[in-house]
Amino acid sequence: MSTANANITLFDDEFLKKLEYLNIISKRLFAGQLRAERRTRRRGAGLEFADYRQYVAGDDFRYLDWKAYLRLNRLILKLFEEEEDLPIYFFVDSSQSMNYGQPTKLDYARRVAAALCYIGLANLDRVNVISFADGVKTELPPQRGKGRIFKIFRMLTDITPSGETDARTSFKTYCTETRRRGLAVVISDFFDSHGFEAALDILRHFRHDIFVVHIASHEEIDPALRGELLLVDAENNATREITITPSLLTAYKAEYAKYCEAVESYCGKYQLGYVRTTTDFPFEELVLKVFRQGRFLK
Amino acid sequence: MTFLALTALQTALLAALTAGTIIALYFLKLRHRRVVISSSILWKRVLDERQSHSLWEKLRRIISIAIAITIALLIALALARPEIESLTGKNERVVIVLDSSPTMNTQTAGGRTRWQHALEAAEGLLATGGPTTEFRVIDTAGSTASAFTTDRNEVRRLLEEMTPKTADPHFPKVDATGSQIYFVSDGVTLHTTPSSVKRISVYEPAENVGITAFEIRSIPSTPLGYEAYLEIQNFGRPAEVGVVLSGTGGQRINRTVRLETEQIYKDVFDLSQFSGGGVRATIQSKDDALGLDDVAFAYLPIKRKTRTLLVTRGNQFLETLLKLDGYVDLTVVDPAGYRESPTIDAYIFDRFAPPSPPARPALIIGTPAAPWLKPVTGDVRKPEIATWSEKHPVMQYVSVHDVSIERASRIDPSGLTVIAASKQTPLIVASEKPKWVMLTFDLQSSDFPFHVGFPVFIENVLTWFSREQLALKRSPGIVDVPLAESQIRTIDGTVVPSTQQLGQTLFETRQPGLYSATQGDQRIHVAVNLANPTFSDVNRSVFKTDRTAATQNYWLRRELWFYMLAAAAVLITIEWFTYHRRMTL
Repeated sequence: MSTANANITLFDDEFLKKLEYLNIISKRLFAGQLRAERRTRRRGAGLEFADYRQYVAGDDFRYLDWKAYLRLNRLILKLFEEEEDLPIYFFVDSSQSMNYGQPTKLDYARRVAAALCYIGLANLDRVNVISFADGVKTELPPQRGKGRIFKIFRMLTDITPSGETDARTSFKTYCTETRRRGLAVVISDFFDSHGFEAALDILRHFRHDIFVVHIASHEEIDPALRGELLLVDAENNATREITITPSLLTAYKAEYAKYCEAVESYCGKYQLGYVRTTTDFPFEELVLKVFRQGRFLK
Repeated sequence: MTFLALTALQTALLAALTAGTIIALYFLKLRHRRVVISSSILWKRVLDERQSHSLWEKLRRIISIAIAITIALLIALALARPEIESLTGKNERVVIVLDSSPTMNTQTAGGRTRWQHALEAAEGLLATGGPTTEFRVIDTAGSTASAFTTDRNEVRRLLEEMTPKTADPHFPKVDATGSQIYFVSDGVTLHTTPSSVKRISVYEPAENVGITAFEIRSIPSTPLGYEAYLEIQNFGRPAEVGVVLSGTGGQRINRTVRLETEQIYKDVFDLSQFSGGGVRATIQSKDDALGLDDVAFAYLPIKRKTRTLLVTRGNQFLETLLKLDGYVDLTVVDPAGYRESPTIDAYIFDRFAPPSPPARPALIIGTPAAPWLKPVTGDVRKPEIATWSEKHPVMQYVSVHDVSIERASRIDPSGLTVIAASKQTPLIVASEKPKWVMLTFDLQSSDFPFHVGFPVFIENVLTWFSREQLALKRSPGIVDVPLAESQIRTIDGTVVPSTQQLGQTLFETRQPGLYSATQGDQRIHVAVNLANPTFSDVNRSVFKTDRTAATQNYWLRRELWFYMLAAAAVLITIEWFTYHRRMTL
């Protein structure tokens, strides 16, 4: 569960220093609004040489290639790649199902989001944080620069789990507003009765570069359930009487594995980044190693 | 179906209450524990798939509650003790006849006796039948015969008290109508039984060499001379047999003989070197299975001179005879000089009687007048001896059939023991208290002193008066001693409990031994020996070839509640197994 001082416990200073050396990778190039350290397709005042073209009236003659003029007697303009910021959208699932496990999946998601946000801010990217359940619950305006990290921490710690997951509606609501395309990081357990595929389809439709962080709890993977039980769904309070037998547990585990595989297959099919982790997996190792191995960070 | 412990209504109520309780408890049990999970999406998929495909899932609850109710009803109805006639054999009567012959003491290869095997077989029979099956136990000695009872514990107690006897066994008369009679036997002493009797054999072949006869007897030609007669027979395989005769004075005779199967060894042992007292004969052979016949006892009278006072006016025959007897210390006085003396063992009054009976036994010759004697009521001329008692101690080895008597006195024999008599009057009578023997005729008017039996008669009289006698011969079991109010002791002085019956003392012993019965000055020795070839021949069994003797298969006929509880236990085990594997609820 979130607490008031969760920002203190999200991660320590030493971990923050390690994060500063990381950079979020996007497979696509997106147009930014402000100069930054990320290449764009736009030609501009960057340092990296891109191309030549004929000088036309009105061009900045500071970029004329005088050596070429002397050799060719033609005015040729040097073009440079513009370096801009990257819009990154962190969609954090804050439905009631995320309030499960020890630690809870939401706590784990907060920390993952916070770490990635910090990396993005350190690289002067435009970081957006959105918590969602059956709709967009809270939304933090685009943040830029490391100084904004505490605002993000506060926003993340203020997220309270509630509601039933409806990612499709949430993403649709958010993306239909005028937004720039960018990197969409979805942090969720993907227990969505409306189907996770429809939700991710929305993001794909809006041509976001998508990275999926699938968080699972050990209690879900291998539930310690025995005997006569009344199962209560945390999201919608639906109940079901059940007798847990070893064969039933085996069937459940197989179903869970099948479900995770379906999420992963979907991501593989559409070349989406995918990382699955459990809440008992060391968080620092996830960020510093797994994300890098998954080529989400460099 | 009937119920022994409850009425039908009570049983129905019990069954209903039990079933209701189980159903109520079952639904209480099904109150599920509430568990919150993150999402039921996956559980729903799993359960929908399983329930739609499994008939077992649909029936599981019904089967579970059916098992629970069945278990409870089995236990509850078992308490009511149900009975089904076709299964439990209602009103059956079982008679168990146990062969209590001494041969049942024979040890078997396992170290137990045939009798113990018989008790085990009887116990097995008790475990059969239904609750109303009546049992009766009888032995072949006639000492135990219970009434029919359904109380098996009572029968068991009776079985524990029963032992093999030495009485001649006979198959008891049992009304077989409506009864099943079982005869548990080794088949040695009782060879024939009624055809309706089912025989159960406890026979096993065994080795046995037994003493079939042992006694000490006097030598007629030698006063106070005795010899021992021993007879041994081998009823098993050929064997070396060690024979030992030992006396209380430490005398000992050892022999070793080899006996072939069925061979009899007979021998007479000279006991002249033995002092008086108990004499024990023992035999030893390898693997002997019956100890009862390996030892036998007898009693050798202690040799001591009888201090005898002859009161007579002169009797040449008597004086000569008594003076020649080496075991008589004789004093002769005439009637005028008679004085009763405490040092005298026996008196012989020849045509004389003191006015009061002497303290010691007396032989009275003639019929002198005295207040303590029977008065003479007349004379009988030339009486012929018509009857005499050969069994009386004074007549042992004495024949009086050709004794001629000139004249005898007539007396009233009431209260006296008539030892010899003519048709008209008793001729020799005896009194137990005071102890005396009287001849109703004068020796000088008879040729009795010239008969060879006369010295023997005098010797017998003196022996009967004061000398110790040979032991009575009896068999183990209930022993009768012809001495009223006597105390029975073993050879080592231990008092044996005894009872009185018809002027006799009775005591029980299972083992051979030498006993003494004492009452005042009187003492009788009793030698209790098996000494019976019938009992020693432990292999003369009809079960050697009799294949009809078969044990029964008992356990299938226990009371129904036993099987109900067993079924409940099995169901509980199955339920426990399936419940913990979540097969049942």
